[in-house]
Amino acid sequence: MKKMHLAATTALTLAPLAASSETLSIYNWGDYINPAVLEAFTEETGVEITLDSYGSNEEMLAKIQAGATGYDIVFPSVHMHDIMFQLGLLAKTDIGASPDFKNIDPQFVRAKTDPDAEYCLPYAWGNVGIVYNKELAGDIKSWDDFFALGDAGKKITLLDDLRETIGIGLIKTGASVNSTDPGEVAAAADYIIDHIAGVTAFTYDSVPQVISGDVAAAHWYVGANLYVSENPETIGYMIPEEGATMYQEDICVLESAPNKDAAKKFLEFYLRPEIAALNVEQQMNGTPNLPAQKLIPVELSSNETIYPPESVMEKLQIFEDLGRDLQLYNSEWTRIKTAQ
Amino acid sequence: MSLARRKLLQLIGLLGAPTVFLLVFFFGPLLIMLVYSLLTPGLYGGVDWIFSHLNYGRILGWADTRYEKFDPVYIAIFLRSLKLAALTVVASLAVCYPAAFWISRMRPGMRDFAIFLVTLPFFVSLIVRLFAWVLILRPTGFLNQGLMGLGLTGAPIEFLYTDFAVILGMTYVFIPFMFLPLYGSIEKLDLAQIEASSDLGATRFQTFRKVILPATLPGIVGGSVITFIPALGNFIVPSVLGGAKVLMIGNLIEQQFLSARNWPFGSALAMLVMSAVLILLIAQFRLAKKEAQS
Repeated sequence: MKKMHLAATTALTLAPLAASSETLSIYNWGDYINPAVLEAFTEETGVEITLDSYGSNEEMLAKIQAGATGYDIVFPSVHMHDIMFQLGLLAKTDIGASPDFKNIDPQFVRAKTDPDAEYCLPYAWGNVGIVYNKELAGDIKSWDDFFALGDAGKKITLLDDLRETIGIGLIKTGASVNSTDPGEVAAAADYIIDHIAGVTAFTYDSVPQVISGDVAAAHWYVGANLYVSENPETIGYMIPEEGATMYQEDICVLESAPNKDAAKKFLEFYLRPEIAALNVEQQMNGTPNLPAQKLIPVELSSNETIYPPESVMEKLQIFEDLGRDLQLYNSEWTRIKTAQ
Repeated sequence: MSLARRKLLQLIGLLGAPTVFLLVFFFGPLLIMLVYSLLTPGLYGGVDWIFSHLNYGRILGWADTRYEKFDPVYIAIFLRSLKLAALTVVASLAVCYPAAFWISRMRPGMRDFAIFLVTLPFFVSLIVRLFAWVLILRPTGFLNQGLMGLGLTGAPIEFLYTDFAVILGMTYVFIPFMFLPLYGSIEKLDLAQIEASSDLGATRFQTFRKVILPATLPGIVGGSVITFIPALGNFIVPSVLGGAKVLMIGNLIEQQFLSARNWPFGSALAMLVMSAVLILLIAQFRLAKKEAQS
């Protein structure tokens, strides 16, 4: 931290000299980066940052495909990283050859199309579990406990996301969350439909309702730990013992990027442990940057829902691109949404 | 140059630009949708230029492949959307009709202020307003707290994430759409006719049915159509207040264009909505024509 402070002050004095017209345009998920990271980058390099946000991989892809230009950096999930590579939307950065890339835990270089990180930098990862109201839900540990709440007349919510929600059914029926077998996908949808009566909504906006007690438990992201740290008496977050899904986003530079140099500089900036740690402090998710994991507050690094032990990690599945077989999920999702 | 010819040229000069604008920016997108609805979905969104009738087959009954299967659920969702949109129209009419009468009888300064109040919600983002409704309707929300405080109910009533919440939300959103055309025809109502009607011995109900209702019918029809159309395709209200469990056709279309990456099927569903709207507009046009003749 001290070193960064020093860097920041030097940057401040130099900033007016640097070409102030240079900008870096970042297109990211909403609230998915600590603003302090962006400020630190601007202070050090004099490059102004503009930040736009999107709500899903598909929304971002649709915009870029429709010809939105002017963005330098995007944050796709691993399967979308693969898709964007195949569509020729990504620029080669050779970030894997940067000296600081040694900080990155190699297991997080996940994209099949980018095995040597020639294009993108692993950014952050986390799991999707359950946030619950301690008084209403009690000490729940599994998907069974979660759906039992719904069956007992308490309220639960699921994410309004076809792969995440059908993914629970696939985990419960013992299939892969990347199954392309129509029978398996239909059985997974049936599992959800069997418990639909207790599901009060498919929504992302569930944490405030878990805190207020309107909902007993909700399918949500590891980022719920931020709210758990603010309301430790009221709510908790857990990874169900049957297993869960995990996600990872990578930082990628677009082929159409107007400022590839600044974008590469940003990727290198983000390789620094103190910068990755600064981000995690506010985001409360996982970083693939090993030295950064030692810099973050101990209550985060020792939190097993954020950095799960190996035995739990083994039960976390990550989504892969399904190609045409996504259409199997599409039909089943409509069936789930119309089941009463 | 003859006079007639010059007039024609003038007319082309005047109307040419807007006509081209309309053709390009109104019919153009429609045409794209129509063409897309007859193509094969691209692997990652977009379309492949291979003809396919299966997008309609999925809705209407003849598709049966690995990815394109007929399912009556799509028609069911459409019918349900028609129902919810129609109920929204009825509810907005019930609120706006008396309100428009009341406001049209206010003194001018108050009247302008009241009309301003009706349009005021437009100044705030729709999403913010809908989340305010979540706070009102949820089990621990203001409405349930109020009802329980008054002793009207022992346990919280389920308002949020129901059809009721969706209709309430859409009614709230579309009230200005219904109000303004209604107000337009109610304000023009000739008070002398109403007086004459009661002078001639008509009861209040007869006056309403025989005099007021026919005179305000254009406003009722206009307001209903302009409310029904956006309500039918709405997807934000069902997703926020219906908890995405009250699935409307708009949500289904959104799903095809975003998370499901099936643009042709989304286009086919959109054409279904479009034809329903078109039928409605033709019916309204015929009605208006008949009225003008009589």
